[in-house]
Amino acid sequence: MNILEIKNVTKKFGDFIAVDNMSLTVAEGEIFGFLGTNGAGKSTTINMISGLLRANSGEIKILGKDIHKHSRFAKKNIGIVPQDIAIYEDLTTYENVKFFAGLYGLRGTQLHKQVEEALEFVGLSDKHKSYPKSFSGGMKRRLNIACAIAHRPKLIIMDEPTVGIDPQSRNYILNSVKKLNEMGCTIIYTSHYMEEVEEICSRIAIIDHGKIIAEGTKEQLKAIITNTKDVWIEIKPMETIDLNKIEAVSGVKAVQMEENLMKVSSDVSVNNLNDIIQCLINDKVEIRSLKEQSPNLETVFLTLTGRSLRDH
Amino acid sequence: MQDVMWLVRHTLKKTFSNKKNILLYFGTPLIGIIISLLVYSGSNEKNVHIGIVNNDPHYITNDTIHFIKGLEHLSVTNIKESEIDDQITSGKLDCVLVFHPGFSKSVQQGRPDHLQIVSIHGSEITGFIKSYLYHYINNISALGKIANGDERTFLQMYERYQQSPFRTSVHSLKDTSKNIGMTYQTIGYLLMIMLFSAGNLAEMIVKEKENRTYFRLLSAPINGKRYVLSNIIVNMIVMTGQIILTLVIMDRVFHIKTNIAFWQMAVVLMLFSLVAIGIAFITVAFANSSASAGAMQNLIVVPSCMLSGCFWPADIMPTFVQKIANFLPQRWTLDALLKLQQGHSFGSLYLNLLIILAFALIFFLISAYKFGRNNNVNNFV
Repeated sequence: MNILEIKNVTKKFGDFIAVDNMSLTVAEGEIFGFLGTNGAGKSTTINMISGLLRANSGEIKILGKDIHKHSRFAKKNIGIVPQDIAIYEDLTTYENVKFFAGLYGLRGTQLHKQVEEALEFVGLSDKHKSYPKSFSGGMKRRLNIACAIAHRPKLIIMDEPTVGIDPQSRNYILNSVKKLNEMGCTIIYTSHYMEEVEEICSRIAIIDHGKIIAEGTKEQLKAIITNTKDVWIEIKPMETIDLNKIEAVSGVKAVQMEENLMKVSSDVSVNNLNDIIQCLINDKVEIRSLKEQSPNLETVFLTLTGRSLRDH
Repeated sequence: MQDVMWLVRHTLKKTFSNKKNILLYFGTPLIGIIISLLVYSGSNEKNVHIGIVNNDPHYITNDTIHFIKGLEHLSVTNIKESEIDDQITSGKLDCVLVFHPGFSKSVQQGRPDHLQIVSIHGSEITGFIKSYLYHYINNISALGKIANGDERTFLQMYERYQQSPFRTSVHSLKDTSKNIGMTYQTIGYLLMIMLFSAGNLAEMIVKEKENRTYFRLLSAPINGKRYVLSNIIVNMIVMTGQIILTLVIMDRVFHIKTNIAFWQMAVVLMLFSLVAIGIAFITVAFANSSASAGAMQNLIVVPSCMLSGCFWPADIMPTFVQKIANFLPQRWTLDALLKLQQGHSFGSLYLNLLIILAFALIFFLISAYKFGRNNNVNNFV
């Protein structure tokens, strides 16, 4: 079942079209990556999903129900982890989570239990009486997550949850995302760190100028932009190679030689690495190192949008 | 409604967990009482110190001196003529009455003379003495004129005058002007504090926007209207506390009699609290940051309170300023309270009350319009 359905949604600010006739579905149990440069329409889409903004046209459904007609239902099933840390510095860790969880109607022992669970999940249960002003950036980010999950939402939207934190906290958060997903939560994850998205997301959408320009699994996205893979082979200097022999290997499209570095471009669908190596061994060429470079998400993004994600 | 009350509890807890805020919201209204007490604390009654030099030992002079000694707020000392200058210049005496030889004879003849008043204070002091003294001396000299030089007749009339069968009974009238002035001053100050309190509490909305918690709040099952409603409720709770505390302390602790029923005063001030919230919301709706909201509040509250007579009676201001004050809600609130003090019935003040309500309504409408036009999530509701 789809947990989120966005159908022909458009949002304008005056003459500026922030989201342009967008359609998107996210299935239950997915970790869905949402990529786009600043101003691409990512935050506007998230704000519309969370009910903070109203679309000019189109419809958004959470678990099959329209988010405006069933606003309470929709909001109860969503947890937002905003990019900017949204907590009260003058309330304790426990009070922060308790207050936000209370907004979802939780009271009494149930509220207390779920707050404790959320704090334990993010590893802050021993800090429940501490004030966030004394926390590191990573701890604040974890508290930011706890405030979003204490009411046990089915869909968690995480907007750049690892911005500006140390690698240890970053790993902790990424593991938390995976764990939440294993517990049955669907995650929509936005990040400027491509490797994060590549690591945890099962499906990815790339948004540019308010439109989804590509959507699918990592492999599907990579396949969109190229059918070529490159192998870089470092050989012993001064070795002479017959490039024609390598070009004759099945699937090889081109061979280039730069000093002692050889670049072999092949069809992505043909597994010919063994044949290339065998050809070099037969010619008694000494191989120093070998690296296969297939397109990554960064390359996909750059190719599709013409811009690098982190430059914006 | 449960979620609104959850927000109200949260805001109150967050506000008053800082003990300084308790002092800010409930201590400052009392400063108004203290200021008015200081302004009106000086007693209007002042004792005048008079020295008497009696160089005319005669029963008419002695009785005149006796009459003077019987007057209230006068302390009389007999001195020698040589001491006059020292006593006057040192300020120990406000004035000296010198009865020269021949005073009693001149009075008896109907032509009072030989009486000298020495003072360096001028008519401020001598006017008070003269008004009583001349009245008495004129009466005696009138007897002298009627006696036409016949000492026996004069004496008979004089004795009858001194033992006159009619008596004057004195009833003190309570001076309520002081209490009215103190009430006016205290309430004027309270209005200003209420405006600032509402401003501070409404400013929390801007602060929530600044620290992004507002974004998270609205992504929960609560909408902007309910959030604003919770802020209005918090404002009303705090201002009700301020009103009750001020009125109770005025009455029970400082014994300032307002001459207005407690509930009438509370109702008028509660209506004004709606105006205060309306003004606060306008500043919040138009401000981009908490700093600009604070600056706008200062810009609106202080001058409007000065113009409308919160710090001094509006009557002392020029006519054109009074006309400007008619466009300010504080003016109509203070006017309603003044009328109640003057004995007007509460029902007869419907115009004042309607005008105050209209101000509140207009302010709420303007802020609601502005809030509604803030389409950007980063900016507002």
